[in-house]
Amino acid sequence: MALGFTLAVFGGALAVVLGGIGSAIGVGLAGQASSGVMSEDPGKFGSLLLLVALPGTQGIYGFLSAFLVMLKLGLVGEVLKSVSVYQGWQILIACFPVAFAGLVSGIHQGKVCASGVYMVAKQPKDLMKPVIMAALVETYAVLGLLITILLLNGIQL
Amino acid sequence: MSIAQVQKVQVVAHSGVKMEILSALQEEGLVQVEKTDFEELGLNSSSVDVYQLEHNLYRLSHALDYLSRWEETGFAKKLFTSKTRMEREKRKEALGFDYLSVLNEVEKIEAKKNELLSELRFLKKEMEFLDPFKSLELPLGLLKPTETTQVLIGSLLVSRKEGLQKMSEEEGLWYEVVSRDKRKYYLLLVYHKKCGERVEQMLRELHFSPFYFTEPVQIAEPLLSKTEEQDRVKDVMRKIDEEMQIKREKLEDLDNEEKKLGEHREHLMRVHDVLLNEKERIFCSSLLGETERAAYLEGWVCSSDVKKLKSKLQPYSEVTELYFRDPLPEEDPPVVLENPKPGKPFELITKLYGLPQRGSFDPTLPLAPFFFLFVGLCVSEAGYGLLVALLSFLFIKFAKPRGGLLQFLKLLALLGISTVILGTLVGGWFGFPVRPLMILDPLQDPLSFLYLALALGFIQVWFGTLLSMVNGLKNKRYLQAIFVQGGWLLLLPSLVLYLAKKGSIWGILTLAGAAGIIFFASPSRNPFARFFGGLYSLYDISRYLADVLSYSRLLALGLATTVIAMVVNNLCQTALGIPWIGWLLAALIFVGGHLFNLGISFLGGFVHSMRLQFVEFFSKFFKAGGSPFKPFELKSKFVEFI
Repeated sequence: MALGFTLAVFGGALAVVLGGIGSAIGVGLAGQASSGVMSEDPGKFGSLLLLVALPGTQGIYGFLSAFLVMLKLGLVGEVLKSVSVYQGWQILIACFPVAFAGLVSGIHQGKVCASGVYMVAKQPKDLMKPVIMAALVETYAVLGLLITILLLNGIQL
Repeated sequence: MSIAQVQKVQVVAHSGVKMEILSALQEEGLVQVEKTDFEELGLNSSSVDVYQLEHNLYRLSHALDYLSRWEETGFAKKLFTSKTRMEREKRKEALGFDYLSVLNEVEKIEAKKNELLSELRFLKKEMEFLDPFKSLELPLGLLKPTETTQVLIGSLLVSRKEGLQKMSEEEGLWYEVVSRDKRKYYLLLVYHKKCGERVEQMLRELHFSPFYFTEPVQIAEPLLSKTEEQDRVKDVMRKIDEEMQIKREKLEDLDNEEKKLGEHREHLMRVHDVLLNEKERIFCSSLLGETERAAYLEGWVCSSDVKKLKSKLQPYSEVTELYFRDPLPEEDPPVVLENPKPGKPFELITKLYGLPQRGSFDPTLPLAPFFFLFVGLCVSEAGYGLLVALLSFLFIKFAKPRGGLLQFLKLLALLGISTVILGTLVGGWFGFPVRPLMILDPLQDPLSFLYLALALGFIQVWFGTLLSMVNGLKNKRYLQAIFVQGGWLLLLPSLVLYLAKKGSIWGILTLAGAAGIIFFASPSRNPFARFFGGLYSLYDISRYLADVLSYSRLLALGLATTVIAMVVNNLCQTALGIPWIGWLLAALIFVGGHLFNLGISFLGGFVHSMRLQFVEFFSKFFKAGGSPFKPFELKSKFVEFI
C-alpha cells in the first residue's frame, strides 16, 4: 500500500514540477522580450503583461491536477485512502498528459509570446493576434489537462 | 447579413467653398474621402503646405509632454477620468488663446533648465575631482610654477608607485601623497624645470594623469574669477558648493514658473487638437481634383447617411452638385458592420479577425450567442461574473468611455452576465456550489459536461457549415452548396445518430450525404478524377471530428476555475486554524486568491472562446479581407469633441 501511495504522490508532484518548469521557462522568455521592449516604450507594460502571463497557465494546470490527486488520496481531507500498487501506477500515469504536454507547450508558448511581444512593439493595435497565436499552442496543454482530469476521475480507489 | 450598404459619393463644387465643404464633412464624419484619380479625370491636384502647422503641432505636443509632470496622477484618478470634453463650436475660441507665447515661454524655461542642469553636472564633476585634494593645505597661489620649478598635482595608479619612487631618487623630483584610495594615489609633485622634459616623458610612461588648477583652466570660468590666491582646495570646494546651491535655487524657481505654465496645459491640449484637425483638413484637400474654378471630391458614404449628408451640404447647394451611385464591381468599397444593439459589442471579435470581404456577410450575429455561452462555461464561476459585470457597469457609468473602449466594456458586462448564469448552473459562487440551482456538477460528473461541450461544438460546426451553404447559394454555386455542404449537413448528424442508436435509417442518410460529397466535391470533368477527388474530400470528416473535439477545452477550462476556487477556499480554511491572526490571513488569501483566479480564468475563457470562433467556426464559411471604413472626421489626441 505504501508504494502505491508514494507513486500517486509522485504523479501529483510530477504534474506540478513539469508544468511549472514549462511555464517558468515560457514566462521567462516572454518576460525578457517584454523588458527589452519596455526599455524603449515603458507605456506598453499593460498590454505586454498579458502576453507574458499567458504561458503561465501550464503551471496552473499542473498545480490543479496535483490538487485533484491530493483530493483523491484524501490528503486534503481527514482520512487517507489506501492505494494499491496498481492504482498508484495508474494515478502516476494519469498525471503524464498534463505534466509533459505542459512542459513542452509552456516553453513553446513562451517563444510564441516572446515574438508576439516584438510584434506588439511595432503594431500596438494588434495585441490580440499574438494572444490568439499563443492560445493555439496552449490547446495541447488544455487537452493534456482534460485527459488527466478524466483519467483521474476514472480511477477507482 | 449585416453589412451596411455603401455608396460612392461625388461632389463637384465651386473652388471658393471647397474648404467650407471639407469643414462640414469633417464635422459630420460621414464620408471616407478617396484620392481622386487625377490622371484619368484630367484634373489638377492642389499642392498644400502644412509645414508651419506641423511645426506648431510638434512644438505643442513637445510642450505638453514636457509639462506633463505637473499633471495630477494617481491610479484611481487615471482610471476614472476621461479626456477633457470640448464643444465643437468652441474650436475657433480655443485658437484665441495665445498659445505661441506660452510655447515660447515653455521652450525658454526648458532651455534655461537644460543649461543649468549641464552646469550643475559639470560642477559636480569638479567637486569629485577636487575631493581627493581636500587635505592639501596650500593656497592655490603657491601651486603655480616658479621661475625654476614646476608644480603639478595629479593621480597615479597604486601599482605605479614604485616607478615614481625610483624617479624621485634619480631625478630632481619631489612628491607628496595627498591622499589615496583603493586604486590611486593623489600626489603633489614639484620638479626642476631644467629636467622638465625628461620628467614629463617618464611621468607619461607611468600613466600619471595630471590635473590643472590654474592653467589650462579647468575649473568653471565664473568660479576661477572668484578663486583667490590664498584660497585652499577646501575653500574652492566650498565656493563650488555655494555656486551649486545658487543654481539649484534657480532651478527651483524655474520649476515654479513651469508649474504655473502647467496650468495652461488644458488650453494647449485644445489648441493642439484644433490645429490637428486644421492640418487634416488641409491635407484632405490635396486629395481633391481641381480645375480653374471647380473642385471635385469623391468618397464613400453609408447609404443610410446619404440623406443626412445631403442636408448638411444644403447651404452650398447653389454652388455644389452631388452624385451618388452604387459601387462598381471592380471597386472595393470599405466595409461597415451594422448590428442591432446587443450584438454590437461582439463586432470587436469580428474586427479582430478581419472585416468580411465584399459579397461575404458579417459573422457577428452568428458568433455572438456561442461566444456568450462559451465564455460563461469556461469561467463558470458566478461570483467572478458578478464582479466583472458590476465593475464594467460602474466604469461605463462613471468614466463615460466612448468608442472601442465602451464596446469592450459592454462586451465584458455581457460576458459577466453569462458567467453569472452558467456559473450558477454548472459552477459555483466563489468556490461554493449552490447545489439546488445546479443542473450538472462537472467535478462529480465530468463526462456529462464533456458531452455537453462536444454537443455545443457540434452545433456550432454544423451551423458554420449551414452558413457556408447559404453563402454558396447566394453566390450561385448551387451544386456545391446543395450537394457538398448539404451533404455534410446531412452526414454529420446522421452519422452521430447511427453510431449512437444504430438505426438503419441513419445509416442510409449518412450514405446519402456521403454520396453527394463524393459526386460533387471535385470540380474535375474527368469522371475518375471526380470520383476519387470526391472520395478524398470525404476525408474531411477527420477535420470535423478534430474541430468538435477541440470544444472539450470548455470542460477543462471550466473545471480549472472551479478547482482553483476550491483550493483557495481550502487554504482559507487552513489559515483560519492559525491562532490570533488566522482570520486576517484567511481574508487576504480569499480576496487575493479569488482575484487571481478571476484574472486567469477570464483571460483563458476569453482567449479560448475567441479561438473557437476563429479556428473552428470561421474556417467553415468566413473570409476576411474587407477594408475598414475610415471617415474623414474630427480627430483628437487630448480632448474629446462633443
